[in-house]
Amino acid sequence: AKKIRWKLAETWPSTLTPLASPPAKLAAWMKEMSNGEFIIKVEGKEKHKAPLGILDMVKGGQYQMGHSGSYYWKGKDINTVWFCTVPFGMTPSEQYAWFYYGNGKKYMKEVYDKFGVYNYPGGNTGNQMGGWFRKEIKTVDDLKGLKMRIPGLAGEVMAKLGVNVTNIPAGELYTALDRGTIDALEWVGPGMDIKMGFYKVAKYYYTGWHEPASEMQFLVNKKAFDKLPKKYQTMLEVGMKAAAMDMYIENFAASVDAWQKIKKEHPEIQVKTFPLPVLKALKKAADEVYDEYAAKNPKFKEIRDDYFSYMKKARQWSMMSQYYYLQTSKELGITK
Amino acid sequence: MIGLLMFLAALILLVVGYPVAFTFGAVSIYFGALAALFELLPDGGVTLVDWWDEFLSMFSMMPFRIYSIMTNKILMAVPLFIFMGIVLQKSELAERLLESMGTLFGKVRGGLAISTVLIGALLAASTGVVGASVVAMGVISLPIMLRHDYDKALSTGTICAAGTLGQIIPPSIVLIVLADVFQLPVGDLFKAAIWPGMALVGVYILYILVVSFLKPSVAPALKPEEGVRYGASVKKALIAIIPPLTLIVLVLGSIFAGIATPTESASLGALGSLILAAIYRKLDYRMVKEASLETVKTTSMVFAILVGATAFSMVFIYSGADEIVENFMTQLPGEKWGFLILTMAIIMFLGFFIDFFEISYIVVPILLPIAQKIGIDPMWFAILIALNLQSSFLTPPFGFSLFYLKGVAPLEVRTTDIYRGVIPFIILQILVLASIVLFPALYGFKG
Amino acid sequence: MLTKLEKVTDRIIDGVGYLTGVLMIWLILNVAWDVMMRYVFHDSSIAMQELEWHTFAVIMLYGTGYALRYNAHVRVDFLYDRLTPRKQAWINILGTIFFLLPLALLVIYGSWEFVMDAYTTHEISEDPGGLPYRWIIKAQIPLAFIFLIFCAFNFMLHNINILRGAEAPLPEPEEEVIE
Ligand code: NA
Ligand code: NA
Repeated sequence: AKKIRWKLAETWPSTLTPLASPPAKLAAWMKEMSNGEFIIKVEGKEKHKAPLGILDMVKGGQYQMGHSGSYYWKGKDINTVWFCTVPFGMTPSEQYAWFYYGNGKKYMKEVYDKFGVYNYPGGNTGNQMGGWFRKEIKTVDDLKGLKMRIPGLAGEVMAKLGVNVTNIPAGELYTALDRGTIDALEWVGPGMDIKMGFYKVAKYYYTGWHEPASEMQFLVNKKAFDKLPKKYQTMLEVGMKAAAMDMYIENFAASVDAWQKIKKEHPEIQVKTFPLPVLKALKKAADEVYDEYAAKNPKFKEIRDDYFSYMKKARQWSMMSQYYYLQTSKELGITK
Repeated sequence: MIGLLMFLAALILLVVGYPVAFTFGAVSIYFGALAALFELLPDGGVTLVDWWDEFLSMFSMMPFRIYSIMTNKILMAVPLFIFMGIVLQKSELAERLLESMGTLFGKVRGGLAISTVLIGALLAASTGVVGASVVAMGVISLPIMLRHDYDKALSTGTICAAGTLGQIIPPSIVLIVLADVFQLPVGDLFKAAIWPGMALVGVYILYILVVSFLKPSVAPALKPEEGVRYGASVKKALIAIIPPLTLIVLVLGSIFAGIATPTESASLGALGSLILAAIYRKLDYRMVKEASLETVKTTSMVFAILVGATAFSMVFIYSGADEIVENFMTQLPGEKWGFLILTMAIIMFLGFFIDFFEISYIVVPILLPIAQKIGIDPMWFAILIALNLQSSFLTPPFGFSLFYLKGVAPLEVRTTDIYRGVIPFIILQILVLASIVLFPALYGFKG
Repeated sequence: MLTKLEKVTDRIIDGVGYLTGVLMIWLILNVAWDVMMRYVFHDSSIAMQELEWHTFAVIMLYGTGYALRYNAHVRVDFLYDRLTPRKQAWINILGTIFFLLPLALLVIYGSWEFVMDAYTTHEISEDPGGLPYRWIIKAQIPLAFIFLIFCAFNFMLHNINILRGAEAPLPEPEEEVIE
């Protein structure tokens, strides 16, 4: 039989683990499972040089597959944000439940249909940290005029509270934070932050609220997928799901180790949670942002209602199962 | 194979003398067509339509690549620094700065070239974009060195070398990319690069002193003004140096004080140069107009080369040449010295042809696990590669610095002058590289 | 006739070039303004920051054609310099036909879907308070390459006029990059 040769373009450089891991693993598994009949060539940002063109290129058929993050397409359709993460949204397990067993998958199909691509979860970063701050945030007023790099919806929320949201290219972020050109920035979590070295130049590491479960995505060109024999379609779908799960685990493990290292090297770093009044103000601002989009975009309202009503149910179970167990472990002194 | 033949074709066609940018573009088109054919052949039954579709589909990625260049904010340092350079040149402040610095050297020869290296080092500390510093230096100091009868090769070599210092003296794009590949903190790598960067500055200066001592005609000392004592001219020189030097210090200061990012600081430099020109009553409509039009032309020349080069690398990767390189690299020896010497030699060789970005992401990831197994200090290894990649901007035939400088050089400066000029500096680069390999402790590495 | 046509196209290109020159000054002010607003007033606008690269992009895109008219694109010259002006003119004409035009046409062709994707989805900035209408800046790619083709015709005319002996081969000296 004719070999199937696909190309996959990913938003990241091919060395950027764990984000670059799902495509690499998927490609290796596909090759083995198909006895070398289904080859996926993975091209990182260093090869295609168009990190934010993935959706267009998969749609256009230059690549049969892509690996990226749904919120990069926020400028094309605001509803894409629901398939990545949103401020004060669901945790990874809650969100996966919504995807696969709630209405998530259905909505994702609706939103991505016009782009001519199929879309699949592509790995989760887990709960992201709120960012590295050079100064402590004690009151809502401390946020006014704070120069911070924070993209996406979270940036919009912060801007409502007077934060001076700043765009700085990733390559200049370290220097900018080091010199105080910006006061704060958000990145991912210990596993990925450690490579950027932010812990050397900012003392306060705030816990998250804005990206509780950032899901990456696989994009597949519709025509290419539909042409595949059924067995390869199944293999691919199973492979993507496994690769996504694998990234979630990989990043969790990376953060476990990275945090130990950061704490050891820089014991002065303080992990902080925003004070309750600040969090309340952020939540209020987030709701305002959602309201504004919902007023303009009926689909946004529909998905938002579904998402948060699912979250309400799911959170009860999360609390009963995970929260109280973690609480117990704290009371037993297993963790501080 | 097609990917490798491409370089040969580019080499031959460049000699014809049509603009470099479009020659790169054209080679990629014709070889792209060939690569598309080879891509389809294994499947058999290729029609002309299939071929044409495959070819067009590949080239429809060009807008995405061009868009990436457009949105690369770090590149904005290019027009901003060029503008600053041209205003300083047109208002004769650059001349005053360099000649004054040259005067301070008195009878010691090579003063202008040494001053160029020092200014290059200062610019390097405020940008990490080679195009920006090479072109700015070319505008500022090449005409002055030539007017003072400096040898063309020495002048252009000095400028190219001083301009590429930007890639090793932090901030630097090469270091940022390597930090990413090595998964090392950017800040640590920046710190580790300072001493090797300083060593380069030192070695360049030493070389200029030696060569102008041995061969006085290549870099004559500035003639003292008639009837003015050395002491008086030193005083005059010191006064003249202050304003333009303040400008450069302000640019650097704005970065260190956290006022601006390195790229943004270039705009303060551009604005500052206009203010300085106004103070010296050189500012008028004509000057601003000429400065901005020349900046537009020069920036676009740099942009066009980037566009041509991106088409080239697109076809290179499409044709699978990256895999040939990858396969080759996996067969390296697993013994420390053999491994180090071979990798350095190979990276240097690849640097003749492909750009640092591709080397960093295609070749380095293959080397990393081997280096780790041998127990090579990653920081040390990263700096060795950084220095090596920095040299790739200087190495003919495709070193971008050479093209950039040629683009702003007066007509009498030939490509061959520049090619000849950089050779000694490439050797110096290799010497410094070797010294870091042999004496890591000297630069603070574990080895 | 051809000389006159060249003069007319010269003027159009110079007009576009002049506008990019004005944008260049704007770029400096734009970036400096953003730095000042952030540092002094702790208040910067994402739209203004995005305007930086929009301006930068437009300058380079249209400047590419403008630079062609003034021979500002770098060449490897060790052979070229030794040729007679007629032979140089031939290189320029043939090079433009076989090197420059195919590249420009391919970029224009590929841009159609690129721009339309942005237009039909009403793509806007992905950042809060960023600029809307992404298709406008994306459309500058094909438009600028159409302008480049226009400049390429001007460039060929210039070289044909040299071949006809109707024009001196050297570019106007006062327009050289460095005096
Ligand atoms: Na994040
Ligand atoms: Na630098």
